[in-house]
Amino acid sequence: MDIRSALKFLSINLKRNFVPHLIVALLIALLTPIIFAVSSLDERLAAQPIEMMLSLTGTALLTPIFLPEQNENIRDVIRSKRIDYMNVCIMRIIYSVIALFLIIGGFVLMMGFCESQITFRHLIGGFSSALFLGSLGFLVAGFSRNAPVGYMVSLIYYIANFAMKDKLGNLFLFSMCSGSFIEKYWLLTASVIMLTAGVFSCKIQNLFS
Amino acid sequence: MMLFFKECKKVLFSLTFLIYFVAVMAMYFTQFHNDCKEPIAAPVPGQESYGMIAKEIPDILMPAAAENLVRDYLSDSYRAYPVGFCKNVHLNEKKKQKMAKIITEITGISKEELDNFTDYEEGGFYIDENGAMAQLESNMPEINISQTLTYERFRELMREADDIIGGGSEYSDEYIVDNFSLVPETYEDALAEYNAFLEEDKITGAYARLFCDYMGIVLAILPVFAAVSLAALDKKSNMEQLAYSRKISSVKLIFTRYFALVTLLLIPVAIIALIADFKVCGMYPDASADIFAIFRCSAAWLVPNIMIAAAVGMLMTELTSSLLAIFVQGIWWFSGMFSSANGLTGCIGKFILIARHNSLYGLDAFMNSFSDFVFNRIFYAVISIIAIAVTAFIYEQKRRGIFNGYSFRFKIFKHKS
Repeated sequence: MDIRSALKFLSINLKRNFVPHLIVALLIALLTPIIFAVSSLDERLAAQPIEMMLSLTGTALLTPIFLPEQNENIRDVIRSKRIDYMNVCIMRIIYSVIALFLIIGGFVLMMGFCESQITFRHLIGGFSSALFLGSLGFLVAGFSRNAPVGYMVSLIYYIANFAMKDKLGNLFLFSMCSGSFIEKYWLLTASVIMLTAGVFSCKIQNLFS
Repeated sequence: MMLFFKECKKVLFSLTFLIYFVAVMAMYFTQFHNDCKEPIAAPVPGQESYGMIAKEIPDILMPAAAENLVRDYLSDSYRAYPVGFCKNVHLNEKKKQKMAKIITEITGISKEELDNFTDYEEGGFYIDENGAMAQLESNMPEINISQTLTYERFRELMREADDIIGGGSEYSDEYIVDNFSLVPETYEDALAEYNAFLEEDKITGAYARLFCDYMGIVLAILPVFAAVSLAALDKKSNMEQLAYSRKISSVKLIFTRYFALVTLLLIPVAIIALIADFKVCGMYPDASADIFAIFRCSAAWLVPNIMIAAAVGMLMTELTSSLLAIFVQGIWWFSGMFSSANGLTGCIGKFILIARHNSLYGLDAFMNSFSDFVFNRIFYAVISIIAIAVTAFIYEQKRRGIFNGYSFRFKIFKHKS
């Protein structure tokens, strides 16, 4: 894919596919200060809004990456194009992950201005939890070719974190609320694996369908 | 009837239903089943402690609440739970003045005295230089409740303080007794509670409420995915156009689809309700428990949850032909979850989506809001039916080619871009 066609693809994808999901993610971020306190919080309390609410932005941004091609007609058009579908998916993942990082970064910065004890760990920790939820939704949506199923599994995992808490071990999303950070490395690693598996599943499905 | 079974088959063999089934089972086994390991033991006289109980005793409540209010004023941090999670509220100068006026009326301490008290120490425990646990005494003005202040006036002032903080604070009617008037439970209290559990609730009644409390959380959200996913499958396999051309009326088609979906979604709930019934009866073999209490309670408590979530899924999907349904139900579920998190016992308002009662005790609290509970469940069942009737109307418009949500959405984005 040359730069010109890549830019064209990027601009069309941003306009057609990304905006509604970005709006949902931003709405989640805007709703967070209504539900949670964001000012004058100590390090542990400051993790609460980031992990418990902002992590859902990952679901909103990453789960619908395959959504446009779930319409058979669009998929047929995509298949007829010269550009590798996997590259398109990777491009969508990249801009979604960048948006996710910026939303969480902006929120963490805002909490810092509100005199909460924010560290770099809040940014990485929040990003890891959100990326994990999003990657899980992305992977399931890719395998099932059904975006609602991706949202469903991602949300079930989110609810499981309230119900089962640290029984989820290294994949516990809200670990910073209980003062632990080690889970975040696991979440990041698992996210990368799931994103890679999701992209390849899509490639394989496209080849054989 | 044929159509009903066809729709049931479609739901039954969908991936969404499989995930729903697993999630419902997982919720049951990790939550309710986990709480049913041992039967509740009767209290024994002379026990070291029977726990604490909230009782409205003015002589305990007034000094405790007043001391806390002064502490909050000095640290300018008021704890509140407006939508479930804890928020620390800071007041602006105007509100501070109002709060100081309340404190002055309760304790006689003026705003100037409060503002000049710069040596305030919160107190608490800390680790000293030798690594030992040490206690830091709190340093704050001496609190004496005004002799002329009646309890009624005190509660009025607490309500005003709650308004200044923005509602949901520790001084609200909802929380004040639980926060500032806790007394040790006596043997008699514990025995009365246990007897209500045995005789009035007949054991399974109490477990039925706990069961519905846990299951209600997932059943207020998961059915929306089943509804949306089925519509997505129809669209993917181009079944939509085929269904449009059939003779069957839109009302019949949509209602049959809806009832097939609700029936199938109820099956896992009915299975676990029966398992729970047998599990609880097995724990109390000598008691004359009602063996189908959990099953019956689930029908009244949980069916409206499934109905409304499935109806929102179908209506929003038909209206917008997009995944907006998940977002709408997600937001509703989220706000319902966290607003009911304020109180997990007898937390049943007229319009609350997720009715909560996370305790085997507290029959009184539940019965106090029983009429609201009945209203709530009937309200959601009726709203669901109305939503499905609207869905049928939209479907009919689409069939006639008058309305098409999908192209409508795309037109909007075309104009914007």
